[in-house]
Amino acid sequence: MNETIKSENKISETREFIVNSASLKEVRSFSREVFEKIKIDQDLKDELVLAIAEAAQNIVKHAYKDIETNDDKMEIKISLGKNDELEIGFFDKGKPVDGAKVRHRNIDDVKPGGLGTFFIQQIMDAVVFREGEKPWINHIILTKQL
Amino acid sequence: MTYKVSEEGNISTVFLNGEIDMDVVDKAKELIMPLIEAKKEVHINLKDVQYMDSSGISVLIESHQKALEVGTKVTLKEISKSVLKVIMMAKLEQILNLD
Repeated sequence: MNETIKSENKISETREFIVNSASLKEVRSFSREVFEKIKIDQDLKDELVLAIAEAAQNIVKHAYKDIETNDDKMEIKISLGKNDELEIGFFDKGKPVDGAKVRHRNIDDVKPGGLGTFFIQQIMDAVVFREGEKPWINHIILTKQL
Repeated sequence: MTYKVSEEGNISTVFLNGEIDMDVVDKAKELIMPLIEAKKEVHINLKDVQYMDSSGISVLIESHQKALEVGTKVTLKEISKSVLKVIMMAKLEQILNLD
């Protein structure tokens, strides 16, 4: 078996979650379930789960900021191609996010908040913000070469 | 997340257990901040915390800074491997009191 191949088969799994903080635990469970099928070490799995949970948290905190009650769902799609590139797509119907304005805080300016985006950028190779295709408003893509 | 608090003299030890994310951070803050405001020395035991995200790290920062402000101290005890990794990713190992 070629050791560079992290999965025998292409993986593409999608799940919807209600947009609220209580769903973050389910987001982590879903991510862990998918990563069980991929031959990567546990530390990397834990980092990827953190990156996914932080991105989902950003949707709850920012894309849905000031939206009091809703039963909207966000969708997360985890895909691994044969070239071992992991792609994680996030789709939501919140307020449009301008990717150019998404910045983590200065890491040396120690204060609460602003770390989620920093963690995502530390863990993933790339973060791309796109306008979502209907019915979605935002489409965020995280990628990492495994 | 579940928790237990023990008291010994002026030291309050908060034992946190489970996964600490945005959904439970308010509960963690409500538990820890009054102890700091009462000028207790607070030990936060993280042995049984299997997961902590940026929200949880923010509570640790806020607790540390509040303790400095009121003249007491927060020390993180028995930090689990997964939490330590996140603390280090945030470059806080030289800022927070780790034991």
